[in-house]
Amino acid sequence: MITSRDRATRQGAQLHTDNPLQAPTGSPGSTKARALHLGRSLALWLCFFALGASVDQSVAAIAEPVGGAVDKELAEAAADRHACLRCHAMSTLGYRDPDDGEIVDLSIDREGLAHSVHGELACIDCHRRSYRRYPHPDRPAPGDLDCIGCHEDENQNLSRGWVDIDAEFKRSVHAVSDSPRVEGFSCHSCHDPHRFRPAAVGEPIVQIVRNHNEVCLSCHEKLIAPSSTSHGWLPNRDAHWTSVRCVDCHTPVAVFANHEVLPAEKSEKNCVSCHSADPQLLARLYQFRSEEDIARRGLLAKAVFNEAYVVGMSKSPALDRLSLAIIGLMVLLLAAHGVGRYLVRRANRRA
Amino acid sequence: MNANANTLLTPKNARRLFIAAAVVLLVLFVFYKVVYPIVFDAYVGKANAPLTYANSQPITEDELEAMATELSLSARRAAAEAIVGQDENAFARRVKVEMLMGTQSFMREHEPTHIKYFRDANILQYEGPKTCLQCHATINVRHHDGRTSEVDTLDDIVNSVHFKFQSDAGGGFSTYGYDGRQVNAEGSRPIPVGKINRACGIPGSFSWTGWAALVESRPESAHGEVALRSEGCGQCHIGGNYQPATEKMMPIGDVPGVAKEGIDCLICHSTEYDMNQRYVIRDDVGLRWNQDRTMRAALTVGRSTTKNCLNCHQHNMGGDAYLHNEAAKALGDKHQRLLHTGAKRGNPFSPHDDVHAAAGLQCTDCHVPEGHKIPRGRMGVDLVANDLPDVEVSCVTCHSIAPHNRSEHKALLNGHLDRIACETCHIRELQDNNVVLRDWVHPTWDAEEGIFTPTDIYRSGEVNKGFTFLWFNGNGTFLANALGNNPNGSTEYDPLMQQLARIDDPEIVAAVREKAVELKKTYPDIDVDAYIEAATDPLSQLTPEQVEERRRMLDQNLRAQMNDGESRIYPFKLFNAMMYEDMGNQGPFGAMILPFDYATYYETGDTAASVKQAIRDPIVQRMYQEPFKLYMMDEFMAYFGVSGGWKTDYPLVDGKLENVEPKWMRQMGSLMVNHGIQPVGRDCVECHSPSGILNYRALGYSQERATELENLDIVENLRPAESLSARDGG
Repeated sequence: MITSRDRATRQGAQLHTDNPLQAPTGSPGSTKARALHLGRSLALWLCFFALGASVDQSVAAIAEPVGGAVDKELAEAAADRHACLRCHAMSTLGYRDPDDGEIVDLSIDREGLAHSVHGELACIDCHRRSYRRYPHPDRPAPGDLDCIGCHEDENQNLSRGWVDIDAEFKRSVHAVSDSPRVEGFSCHSCHDPHRFRPAAVGEPIVQIVRNHNEVCLSCHEKLIAPSSTSHGWLPNRDAHWTSVRCVDCHTPVAVFANHEVLPAEKSEKNCVSCHSADPQLLARLYQFRSEEDIARRGLLAKAVFNEAYVVGMSKSPALDRLSLAIIGLMVLLLAAHGVGRYLVRRANRRA
Repeated sequence: MNANANTLLTPKNARRLFIAAAVVLLVLFVFYKVVYPIVFDAYVGKANAPLTYANSQPITEDELEAMATELSLSARRAAAEAIVGQDENAFARRVKVEMLMGTQSFMREHEPTHIKYFRDANILQYEGPKTCLQCHATINVRHHDGRTSEVDTLDDIVNSVHFKFQSDAGGGFSTYGYDGRQVNAEGSRPIPVGKINRACGIPGSFSWTGWAALVESRPESAHGEVALRSEGCGQCHIGGNYQPATEKMMPIGDVPGVAKEGIDCLICHSTEYDMNQRYVIRDDVGLRWNQDRTMRAALTVGRSTTKNCLNCHQHNMGGDAYLHNEAAKALGDKHQRLLHTGAKRGNPFSPHDDVHAAAGLQCTDCHVPEGHKIPRGRMGVDLVANDLPDVEVSCVTCHSIAPHNRSEHKALLNGHLDRIACETCHIRELQDNNVVLRDWVHPTWDAEEGIFTPTDIYRSGEVNKGFTFLWFNGNGTFLANALGNNPNGSTEYDPLMQQLARIDDPEIVAAVREKAVELKKTYPDIDVDAYIEAATDPLSQLTPEQVEERRRMLDQNLRAQMNDGESRIYPFKLFNAMMYEDMGNQGPFGAMILPFDYATYYETGDTAASVKQAIRDPIVQRMYQEPFKLYMMDEFMAYFGVSGGWKTDYPLVDGKLENVEPKWMRQMGSLMVNHGIQPVGRDCVECHSPSGILNYRALGYSQERATELENLDIVENLRPAESLSARDGG
């Protein structure tokens, strides 16, 4: 039962799973790629860009089958999905694993899949032909269900592509730890491909933080138990947990290597990484916000209104100095007013 | 003002005031405790008196010891035989049993616990609750939410459904009136609801008028000799009084102490309870039910077991005529209880017909009691009394949402839980004598028993005949119709105009015709075609305006309740009855049913006379008076779907029935079936084929989806493995 609940949580969280390729990395490749894709249909955009498809390949893929052919492919994929979802959309599809008694959930949320980046694919694109008929084989054939197998060549024009992610993951504590708990850890341990979609720009930051952290907490649930003393060194621990993503501190600070999850002892503990005038870490944390703000209010507005990281501080030294000066001036004015009244009163009394 | 207050509050005046207040309180208390009960009894025409039982006799210490030895031996033997049971060689079995019987630890473990207690406390006579309460004045109750509390035992049982069979505060199941309001919801004026005040077409009466009856039967075998037989609701209820707990229907007042002394603790707690002691007796005050108050029964008290529950509950599950109904084999040392041959549900709980009973599960394993309150679960449509409406009783509590473990197709089978209740596949059929259509108005002479019985026009335990499938979300109507809807939000699914209001099956119609023709021989007035139409199309009894009003009420008042929550497809036993109705209180869903007097009915077969006799009962007369109207009947009628409130025109004028007509209820009731669970469920093709048992269109699926569900290629592919999958279904 516990397993199924975890999985459900994780699936829920996957609705907004982080996609690093969406981040405004400032890389020319990424910008170029996006520019090239403007004007394509949303479906193709989701299919190819969001998965990090390389420009050349996706262009080739789109260029060949035009018009009706694309529709036909989409229709075939839809028919394939319909056939599979007849069973797999049943929310209680699953069985108890005879080895450990835990429930293995085989259900797929119809809506979640439709909104995911893989929503337009045919099921057998990933699950291959052996799954075309029921009953299915007990184990996937070798090479099935392998993200890198589909996505390996797609990083040519991106700063960080699937090969990078794979390399990051292989360095991460989830791959190198000796703990029996990480045995068999794979992409799917955190990311459900049937729900995977990047966090949308404009979503509330708190929501994004919560969704991302739910992925981690679906395994590390002990951390948030009422009696947990974990992260006790953090001032305002719970406030940090609601506004900072786990990966912001638990991956190398300098690079956007979200999949290189560090062991606890190597994770960021330096407050100044965030709480400073030039916060490296904050740039990562607020990548969604930044983009949202830029889109909505322009750069100037962002510079003025960006949320303060320490009370009274605005991250702009000039603004900080200006506001301090204004406060000082106010104090002086008040003092002068008081002194003035005192003098007048004394003069009156004498008269 | 201040001056006045000061004079009032001088010590002398204050003392006077205090005394005056004390006197007023004392008078009120005396009035409440002494005058009110007398006035109430006089008002409802009921009597109370100290209750005595002939079999409550003191025994000597020697008799106690002899009884103790015998009971210990028999308990030990039963336990030993259960353990040795597997051994195939009869002689080896006997030797092993003998060895176990002589084993010290085994002897200690299997002596009925109360033998020692009774011996130590020198209790030599069982006098009912009084005896039990000497030690069990209070009990510790563990609640479903983990709380524990200490409660007064007598108070706990007196306020349980088993004693008062009604509940008001907190509602019961999510029962909705046809006016769209939840019955006794928070904020509404609660009225007592439950079996105490609901006439019903299965027993043909209700507890006020049918509590205890002595019937003069003239069985064929006795050649005209009269044999007295017992009948009435009291046989299955633990109160030993002359009437049900009517006092509990009022906002104030309590059941008198003498009535509480009549509570039958042992029928639920004694393993040696003798159902032959359960028959109607007549004393100076009236008729009441006898009970087993022997020391033999008292010495074997303990926690309630399945056997105790089935003393009464097999009656409404397997039925009285069920082959393995043990209680129905002990009908009484005298005034033997009459058996009801048509089964109410026809889904027995016994090792022969239920997988859980066969596994030795106790009723209380699923219906986990909290003190004397026993949960029925959160889903149910048949009546509204429920002690613990918030406590879940469901299959998944034990089986999880992945119950199928053996079948190759276990994942697919588990997938169905989302839409299909377990019972839908695992109750393949009900007992043959499950009654669907019962005519109370044209009784049939039962020569063997020597009584007139209601005529069961149609009985069947078959799928889509004796029971059918409906969407159900746990909500029900005031007249027991399951509410729910296809999760697609269908507007076509319409059980109260379709499945529950119409019988189309030609086999059933033919069977009804056959019965009608047979009845016509005794009742020449019957118009066979009209009879069949009323029985199989009960809406034909309504005027077009009433049908229109019904349509409007369903759409406006019940649609939201149908769409509420999560619905699954459940099996429901179907039932309808023809009874006399008070047509002054009629609505589009039916009219007030009038009860029958059992003795008159069974003895004479004169149904009108029987109704007259029953409604002469003072409490029915009170029902047709203003105080009762205002207290509960107006509210009752609103839930019933009758507009304009309760009409107090008493239907018996100058010895004649006025504005009373025999009618079928305007729709069938749907009763949940949850027992009689079979280990092997249905096969895929039973539902997934064009001739399957589920009518997908009627269940609110689109034509396209229905066709798809009827023709699944997966099922076609599996056909060769059909038998295997069926065997492996568990």
